[in-house]
Amino acid sequence: MVVAVPLLNVRESHGLHLRVSSMSLAAEAFVSQMAAAEPWPETAALYQPLKDEQILLSDCASSLAVQAYLRMCGLPVQVVCKANAEFMSPSGKIPFIHVGNQVVSELGPIVQFTKAKGHSLSDGLDDLQRAEMKAYMELVNNRLLTAELYIQWCDDATAAEISRPRYSSPYAWPLCSLLAYQKQWEVRRKMAAIGWGDKSLEQVYEEVSQCCQALSQRLGTQPFFFNKQPTELDALVFGHLFTILTTRLTSTDLAERVKSYSNLLSFCRRIETSYFDGKSS
Amino acid sequence: MALSMELRCWGGGWGLPSVHTESLIVLAYAKFSGAEVVTSPIDWTWKTLTATVPELACGESTVTDPTQILNFLRKQRFNADYELTARQGADTLAYIALLEEKLRPALLHTFWVDAENYANVTRPWFASHSPFPLNFVVPCRHANLAISRILLTKGESPLNRINEIEAKLYTDAKECLNLLSYRLGTGVYFFGSSPTSLDAFVFGFLAPLCKASLPSSPLQTHLSQLENLTQFCENILALYFSSDQPASPSVQETKDANLQKLTQLVNKESNLIEKMDDNLRSSSPQHKQHRLDPKPSLANENSTPA
Repeated sequence: MVVAVPLLNVRESHGLHLRVSSMSLAAEAFVSQMAAAEPWPETAALYQPLKDEQILLSDCASSLAVQAYLRMCGLPVQVVCKANAEFMSPSGKIPFIHVGNQVVSELGPIVQFTKAKGHSLSDGLDDLQRAEMKAYMELVNNRLLTAELYIQWCDDATAAEISRPRYSSPYAWPLCSLLAYQKQWEVRRKMAAIGWGDKSLEQVYEEVSQCCQALSQRLGTQPFFFNKQPTELDALVFGHLFTILTTRLTSTDLAERVKSYSNLLSFCRRIETSYFDGKSS
Repeated sequence: MALSMELRCWGGGWGLPSVHTESLIVLAYAKFSGAEVVTSPIDWTWKTLTATVPELACGESTVTDPTQILNFLRKQRFNADYELTARQGADTLAYIALLEEKLRPALLHTFWVDAENYANVTRPWFASHSPFPLNFVVPCRHANLAISRILLTKGESPLNRINEIEAKLYTDAKECLNLLSYRLGTGVYFFGSSPTSLDAFVFGFLAPLCKASLPSSPLQTHLSQLENLTQFCENILALYFSSDQPASPSVQETKDANLQKLTQLVNKESNLIEKMDDNLRSSSPQHKQHRLDPKPSLANENSTPA
């Protein structure tokens, strides 16, 4: 099947990269073209692990961020909880959405997907503001998400009491032990590779504080991060902060660190009341 | 009195004070903040294998990791960021996170994973700057660390092959370079007219990509099209690193010291020669007087002096 799409980025690269990786770029472009062809259906579904027994802090935060983003765009989506959501996802990450006959996972690709369908929150931003927005989104991913993963899987107390039991709750023994330890090993390897393996819990809390301080200073007294309209940055920050504030862990240090920034608290409350009707889904 | 600070880092090459990104960040920040840091390159020592680089040793304590080193320098009152507002400080953190997430994997790929670049540029340099037999071990170790880091952070776990994610790595990196270019605009530095820690980080990441002569690099081509970023790197090199000749400052100082010692020795020699000359010239009448003096005593008995 011949797909004629403008592959602008591919034209710039040459040599080895073009030959071996043209498949994935062409596939992405193909998905965008198909996406633009159809409007947003009513039967769109968002998949995440089981809410009460299985889902963990980091996955819950990512899922809430995507839900907030879709609500901000005014796109209806049903939340479906499946025990094997992580394995169904095309990239192995939660959440993923099933729209029409396409499956897209993670906030970044989902934002591009909705943009191809004509819904975007960041069209009104100029280049400089878009640069800032992307930089702050990476700050949240680099610090908050990594800290959440660390606390869940590298802190022995939390891993033993909360993460491993919850992660493997739908499965019978011995599969539950295998999956839980495999996931823990993967996350610990990743932490070691990026240099967080030697950090203590106190240092991780300090990273979270610095990140929240930066977000708080950027937000200031505005209702949202950019002008008066929310963007994907607002959705991402809301997802992470709200989950941190409302999840019970072995200690309340993490939530306390976030609570010390009052403008972030009021930001979360504002988005919750505006887009979630006062109750989180 | 400030304690002397010694920085262990990789040595210079390709027209840069150091070829290693983290070392460059620390060196640039030290220059910006006016900290006197003695660089001791780990080239050709066993530290190429054992040490974590860069490492700042000050008195008893050692600090690793660029962020920690910059914090340490700030506590020692070498602060290039004191003029920044709170909001600019927050922007600094955000842009550093952008560099780490989007640009670093592609840079690691360009230098350590891409076969042509690794074989022609990176491995020869690191092998030639490591002692025997480490020249076989050090480049491979770095390459393996780079691959595992890319796969763990960007790889999709069911696949775990580097080919699948190469395209995504480079599109992300090019977008990151574009964003940096938008942010820099027409300014000389990112914040105002004096360089800050963000400038140090951006310089550390971009300078090797700018200066190394890589045979195949779409990312380098993309960077060369963003003129304000290349101008930014050249500017910092010219202003802060142009006085460093290919010989590092410590080597230059020892050469000067040797020259001084040599001059002193030569001077002493010439002084001695002059003295000897004087002695020779003035010694003959004295010598005659010495001869004359016994004669009169002898002659006193026999005849009158002549």
